Amino acid sequence: MGNEPLTASLERVFGYETFRPGQQAALEALEAGNDSLAILPTGAGKTLIYQLYGYRHAGCTVIVSPLLSLMADQVDRMRLGGFRRSAAITSQTSYTDRQTILDQLADLQFLFLSPEMLAQPKMLTRIKQLTISLFVVDEAHCIVQWGPDFRPEYLLLGAIKEQLGNPLTLMLTATAGQATRQEIAKQLRSQPTIVTESVNRANIFLDVDRVNDEADKKERLQQLVSRLQGPGVIYFSSKQLATDTAEWLQATTGVRAAAYHAGLSGEDRFKIQQQFMSGELDLICATSAFGMGIDKNDIRYVIHYHLPGDLESYAQEIGRAGRDGQPSVAILLYAPGDEQLPLALGQANRPDEAEIAQYYAQPTKFDDSEPTVHLLAFYRQHGISQAAVQRLFVKREQERNRALAGMVAYAREDHCLRQRWLAAFDEQAPAHTEDCCAPQATPLDIGRLDLGRVVNSADKATPMDWQTQLARLF
Amino acid sequence: MGPADLLQLLDQTQPRRVRAIENLLRGRRTVSTLYWGQRYQLLALLSLAKQLDRGALDAAAQQVVQQGLASWDANHERLVLTPRGLAAQQSATYFHPQTADWWPTIDLMTARQRILLAVQVASQFSHHAGHYLPLTTDMATRQFVRNWFHQVKANDLGTQVLAALTTSLAKLDPLVAAVVTGQFTGYQQAGQTLGQLSQTTQRTPWEIQLMQFEGLAQIMQDAKAPTNPFNSLLQPLWQTPVSRSAQITLNTVKQGQTLAQIAGERRVKVSTVREHLLEAAIMLPLAAFPYDRLLAPATRDQFKAVVQGPVDDWQYTELPEALQKQYEFFYFRLYAIWVGKQGEQHGK
Repeated sequence: MGNEPLTASLERVFGYETFRPGQQAALEALEAGNDSLAILPTGAGKTLIYQLYGYRHAGCTVIVSPLLSLMADQVDRMRLGGFRRSAAITSQTSYTDRQTILDQLADLQFLFLSPEMLAQPKMLTRIKQLTISLFVVDEAHCIVQWGPDFRPEYLLLGAIKEQLGNPLTLMLTATAGQATRQEIAKQLRSQPTIVTESVNRANIFLDVDRVNDEADKKERLQQLVSRLQGPGVIYFSSKQLATDTAEWLQATTGVRAAAYHAGLSGEDRFKIQQQFMSGELDLICATSAFGMGIDKNDIRYVIHYHLPGDLESYAQEIGRAGRDGQPSVAILLYAPGDEQLPLALGQANRPDEAEIAQYYAQPTKFDDSEPTVHLLAFYRQHGISQAAVQRLFVKREQERNRALAGMVAYAREDHCLRQRWLAAFDEQAPAHTEDCCAPQATPLDIGRLDLGRVVNSADKATPMDWQTQLARLF
Repeated sequence: MGPADLLQLLDQTQPRRVRAIENLLRGRRTVSTLYWGQRYQLLALLSLAKQLDRGALDAAAQQVVQQGLASWDANHERLVLTPRGLAAQQSATYFHPQTADWWPTIDLMTARQRILLAVQVASQFSHHAGHYLPLTTDMATRQFVRNWFHQVKANDLGTQVLAALTTSLAKLDPLVAAVVTGQFTGYQQAGQTLGQLSQTTQRTPWEIQLMQFEGLAQIMQDAKAPTNPFNSLLQPLWQTPVSRSAQITLNTVKQGQTLAQIAGERRVKVSTVREHLLEAAIMLPLAAFPYDRLLAPATRDQFKAVVQGPVDDWQYTELPEALQKQYEFFYFRLYAIWVGKQGEQHGK
């Protein structure tokens, strides 16, 4: 199969005649034996790149993926797509399931692992015995966003890759500025061919709504949801607030809303996703766990209730809107002081100088289940000195603050949001027009955007008796 | 679990330990938890909410007290209903399951996964839809349902499943039938989450759970018939309510071995053997446990002569010293279980 032209494989496996932008360039780099860093917007079909490569080459494609609870969904989707020899192992995989997968390891074509699982010596030994055709790091920006102070196992990926004999590597992400790209390449000890498409999405209107305080924000949110045409997604930083707001909006605006976050059971996640896909829900109140694998093209609005920590996350999340190319809107609700929350969330997991010193003085006296201690234990066990750890956290704080400052600057931008946004990715924005964005001082004109809510009477399903409902299933 | 749910688990005359109820729900199979579960006649709840955290009922307990529906005993451990609480308990249109007696003998969690996935598979099959995302389950369930499907696959599978489910659900409260049906996933039907069903029916999430256990138990019961399409899928999920190791211990006792012999052979402590036996005594009907061998009628008479008042108030340490020397706690507890079961048998 190695000699078949890429487009012939594409047609054979997926039935498409042409690639989407970026897919072919990434595959060509891999086929030429070069690592590839593909920065392609949400919905560009990043999964297809490793699916097709895995199909064309013998051996196992190992995919490192960050979101534990969603990996099982991803495997289901692979199987549905015809890639039946797929499996995932995470800390959430039960002992029995894990044994079953390990027994069949040699036959797998695609194996999804969390970085923590891959870093376990026993697991690594097993993976070393595989013939790895391609090593994929999905959501590669997590190395930078989460690595140093949240999931340090990400920092081991470079060393792990070497231990695996430096397999051909594909790094995937939706958004990465120059600094992030360099850091990903450095961490993975790779000089990849970079494939990138513009992050700009001309059909998404950008809006920042300046509000005075929390109460004002809630009221504005309710107004927007009542007036905007769905389907929509609202992003929150907290599961509880996402859950409460979904209930409140459903009760007060009549939209059909549900919450979606990593705390839901697999069954609930499945049902909410399916309801949203089939149009039984107008609105999802989500945390950042929502997104991956949701192939819904007609999301009309994405609202951020909380300020994200950086423009890369923001770009990733608003990218869920308007994948069908139709007019859509991304709204950021911003109250003065909103930056305090991401600041606090960033600091929650970061030990200060005194804590680091105390830990290094008497490491055995601390409880390893505490996230901060776990982090320090990780560094200490990997031979990182106290001074180096202190420098690392200081540097990390500076980076986070810089990233947050970029986000705040976007929120407070007076002229053109798109320009501000794209500049963070070293891109030039087209000249500003009224159809581009509405910065904080400019009110959002929903009518002009043609995104006004049309209340469809069919939305109000008449309740069915259980016999009818049951009969409809069969 | 909220105050309305806890209210239903309390009694006006019998003070009940909140921690024991919590441990029962969380599936902590200690002898103490099981014993109080039996005393409160709540054994059906065993392991039905394994995901609960320790202390998960504390907030609800506090609320029923604040609302004047229950009050704490002196040690702040046991709750008893106030007259107002009793009135509230009786006036509430709270759901009361009819099938609860079967619950401890069914692996309900596995039954739920299998039934939900089997319904989805049969539904998609009857609409000739081969391409769909299956519900998220563990691999063992998926494998089992796959094998079942290949075994029962026939053109009229959908009709058969529909008929079986209709028969089972028609035996239940229509609301229960609606809740069970509402959560099914299948062809062009995503299915409601338990949270959504709770909202639309205005019932507490725990009531929705109870309703679905009721539905599952009825489907299980009807699937005992060899002609039921779910027969091979569900038959293996009937279980003895006693853990495996306790079952082994019990069988050996029935064969006539002494507790010390069993302990030696199984390489466990005599106290462990006793725990196994108490578990079996609590979980099994009177006739299924060798009381006469382990608690001779003469022994029962000795206890009977000295204990007084409600069983729940009996204290081993208040027995006459001679009796304490003669009989360890094990025999005293076994006697209490026996007395309790006698009461149940006489409809008390």
